[in-house]
Amino acid sequence: MLTLNVNGVRREVQAADDTPLLYVLRNDLQLIGPQFGCGLAQCGACAVLVDGKEARSCVTPVASVVGQEITTLEGLPARWAKQKGLSAELAKDTLHPVQQAWIEEQTPQCGFCQNGMMIKATELLESNPHPTIPQIKDAFTNSGPSPNLCRCGTYQAILEAVQHAATLMAKGGK
Amino acid sequence: MASAKNASLEVFGPTLSRRQFVKAGGALLVGFSLVGPELLKADTAKPSVLKNSLDPTLLNSWIEVHPDNTILIRTGKNDFGQGTTFTAYRQIVADELSVPFEAITTVVQGSTDATPDGSGAFDFLGGGMPNIRKAAAYTYQALLGLASEKLGVPKDKLSVQDGVVSGGGKNVSYGDLVKNQQLKLTIPVKGELTSIMGLTIDGNPPLKPVSEYKVIGKSYKNSVIASKVAAKETWATDVRLPGMLHARVVHPKTLGSILVSAGQVDKTKFPNSQVIVKGNLVGVIAPTEWEAIQAAEQVASATKWSDWKGLPGSEKLYQHLREEADWTSAAVANGEKNKGDAGPALGSAKKKHAATYQVSYMKHAPIGPTMAVADVKADGTVHIHTHNQNPQELRGEIAMMLGTTADHVIVHAYPGPGHYGRSNGGNAGAEDEAVLLSKALGKPVRVQWMRADDMQWSTQGSAGYTEIQIALDEKGKISAYQADHYMPAMQDDRLIGAVLAGLPTQAAPNPKGDFISSTANGIQDPWVYLSVPNVTERGHGTYQVGQKASPIAVGLRDHSMRTPGQFQQHFPRELAISEAAALAGADAIQFRLDHATDERAISVLKAVREASAWDTRPSPRPGAASTGSTPIKGRGVALMFRNGSYWACVCHISVTPSTGKIVVEKSTIAVDPGIVVNPAQLKRNVEGGAVMGISHALFEEVIFDQSGITQDDWNSYPIPSMSDIPEIKVVLINNPKVGAYGGGSEAANALAAPAIAAAFHDATGKVMRKIPLKPAYVKALLET
Repeated sequence: MLTLNVNGVRREVQAADDTPLLYVLRNDLQLIGPQFGCGLAQCGACAVLVDGKEARSCVTPVASVVGQEITTLEGLPARWAKQKGLSAELAKDTLHPVQQAWIEEQTPQCGFCQNGMMIKATELLESNPHPTIPQIKDAFTNSGPSPNLCRCGTYQAILEAVQHAATLMAKGGK
Repeated sequence: MASAKNASLEVFGPTLSRRQFVKAGGALLVGFSLVGPELLKADTAKPSVLKNSLDPTLLNSWIEVHPDNTILIRTGKNDFGQGTTFTAYRQIVADELSVPFEAITTVVQGSTDATPDGSGAFDFLGGGMPNIRKAAAYTYQALLGLASEKLGVPKDKLSVQDGVVSGGGKNVSYGDLVKNQQLKLTIPVKGELTSIMGLTIDGNPPLKPVSEYKVIGKSYKNSVIASKVAAKETWATDVRLPGMLHARVVHPKTLGSILVSAGQVDKTKFPNSQVIVKGNLVGVIAPTEWEAIQAAEQVASATKWSDWKGLPGSEKLYQHLREEADWTSAAVANGEKNKGDAGPALGSAKKKHAATYQVSYMKHAPIGPTMAVADVKADGTVHIHTHNQNPQELRGEIAMMLGTTADHVIVHAYPGPGHYGRSNGGNAGAEDEAVLLSKALGKPVRVQWMRADDMQWSTQGSAGYTEIQIALDEKGKISAYQADHYMPAMQDDRLIGAVLAGLPTQAAPNPKGDFISSTANGIQDPWVYLSVPNVTERGHGTYQVGQKASPIAVGLRDHSMRTPGQFQQHFPRELAISEAAALAGADAIQFRLDHATDERAISVLKAVREASAWDTRPSPRPGAASTGSTPIKGRGVALMFRNGSYWACVCHISVTPSTGKIVVEKSTIAVDPGIVVNPAQLKRNVEGGAVMGISHALFEEVIFDQSGITQDDWNSYPIPSMSDIPEIKVVLINNPKVGAYGGGSEAANALAAPAIAAAFHDATGKVMRKIPLKPAYVKALLET
């Protein structure tokens, strides 16, 4: 039995130590934001935040993240609410500004990769609240184990959404 | 049982009969939506309607108007991210019905037991006449008829605004019209549900004039984006059924291998796993996904296959296509716009361009590999949960494989990773394998392909080559154009699981096949330079590479991929036109303007010229160079007509001769689709297509040896990352006088390759007539 801290909640799971975190999240914890894209840490569809840093859950052994803070796409609203000290009541209906920006910019096409894109955007904006376009391109291309790949080609929309999210975050989320 | 009182009214061709259902005991009459298709079906059983299907002749199967003034629409077209069913379809229905966009609260799509018409996730706007538009037009007439009776005012004296009908000083809402009534409206429908094109609504209901559109033309948001972004959408990948097992398939060692012996599970390591073998289909099943993955790897290493070397290898692909492929068995296709006699003009031309162009195989390469969950019940009913572009056709294919009828197969459709045409003929890879494994075990089975399976065992977009000759007259205008397009069959809808298991499936591509399974190669790229006096375009088709040499007849299986067939013909044509312009000493855009006659083609070229800040002059540019380590700039153009839309694209690039590296700095695309239904959604679609086009032009090429595809991941089959994208500029030309809306979710991907190749010529003075323009190929060319 392993105890994980996922989206601010303690979760106990029965899984072999070497099980990739992705399968534990999706199959045991019903957290379906992260998607299986390649199983090789080459695309980013499965990304989660581990202690605030983007990690590829498809190659992360579950035992290696015991004791660390795991955030999935589902946990982004609560993460934002906690950072902003929002009441539980307010937090319930709040999306993370990154998610809000993704909707307002109509970013996804098929959307399968966008989990990882939003995780990457959150990681970036938490450390650099006002990134330049080259910094955004660099983050999505060079900061992870591989570039975050989108087959539908939504990179322009992602660029605009990250900038929009930065504006929303600077304004406190609205 | 309900008793019924019939009434009927005549509406424009079909008979619409209205029926009121009264519940036993004279209780409340029930509304449209509450009766639902099930009761109607029982009441009007038709032998032609499959079990587990809606009756497509009932209007209520397409559109429901509810007493609370909300509206539900159903479409067999399964949106793949274009957003069309959630935006454009709602807008089209809203305008036909004269209701606000928000009144259409529910879009039901894809699933075979919940939608009426089938067909694929392509051509959503159907030349301006998608099924849902006619369904809405019929519904509007029926509602007007009801209102006329209710208000005692002739139909032609009624007006409708926001779902409220007014006339004679009175008014009534749609909700009130349908309250306590059941409309039984029969409409004419033609086609075959489980075929690639599905059903089409027939007849000619009056349509809302373009001048009265209020909702079309505005940028409404796609509601599904919000649920996907919030992790609230159920994807196909999320489906978990009680008792479901996880499976991986051990695919053969080569594309032509026969199973010698299947490996056994090492029970000491994987006590809960098992192997299922059906012919050459080897499945490994376990209760947990991680055990299934590991056990499959172990079983794969212990499984023995025969060897096979029936492919030419990608290095010899074009030699094989030219010298060995059989281009004589399939009928030659002639272009619709062929005219005059190109021969004499080519023979006597003072200036003549003649060259051969090549397009590589390209993978659809969905960002997530194909997967499906199948549940074959003891009574023979088959449920498939999947992400598919043509669920009804898949239904027919699965029935054929199992020797049953489509009645017994239900395909449940969900969102998933886009795969750009790969399953528009009914299957993406995993569905049939899941069915066979579920049937063998009597339990629900989830088959998930791994990345390598998806690279090596899926279909791909066809390779091809084209020979073009262009004659110029003394004024530098084209006097003759001749193109011979060669491409292996591009649509193989066979179920790979059925092929491996030796079960029935569609015919392999062959010269006598129907329009889907034929090896013939039609002219797919409409000719747009209509002032050229002599035009000969011919299409030559053949079997898929390796198909005839394979003991299981698969070879390199091709399947239509974004702008299918047209891509392979458009790259050669447009690069050749740019080369002809250079030969004539003319500017590439002006040269096109001088040969196009259609007003829309001319305006889209002028729009892209202005928006891209094009510098009018001949290519190559002054200072063009093919050596050195200084990046050189160039620009090129392409023009296309597809699905009712005119497109033009300018790409500005820089190329570094010493490395062969090309960077696209700016991509400008102008599109005239006729009526722009949703500007923001169209813009996003075009931006995505622009990036995919750069990927096709610079990155993508299937590499294979004599046995199969050797690429197995994103490192070996690269696509662009965010740092590869240019400045993208999209110009939307709303052109209401066209009177219809054309397609917008593909074509953008096809424009980049010829524009980039022309830009490369502009920069260097050398011509690369093969895509992709990978650095190694570019460098090699520049060194010659």
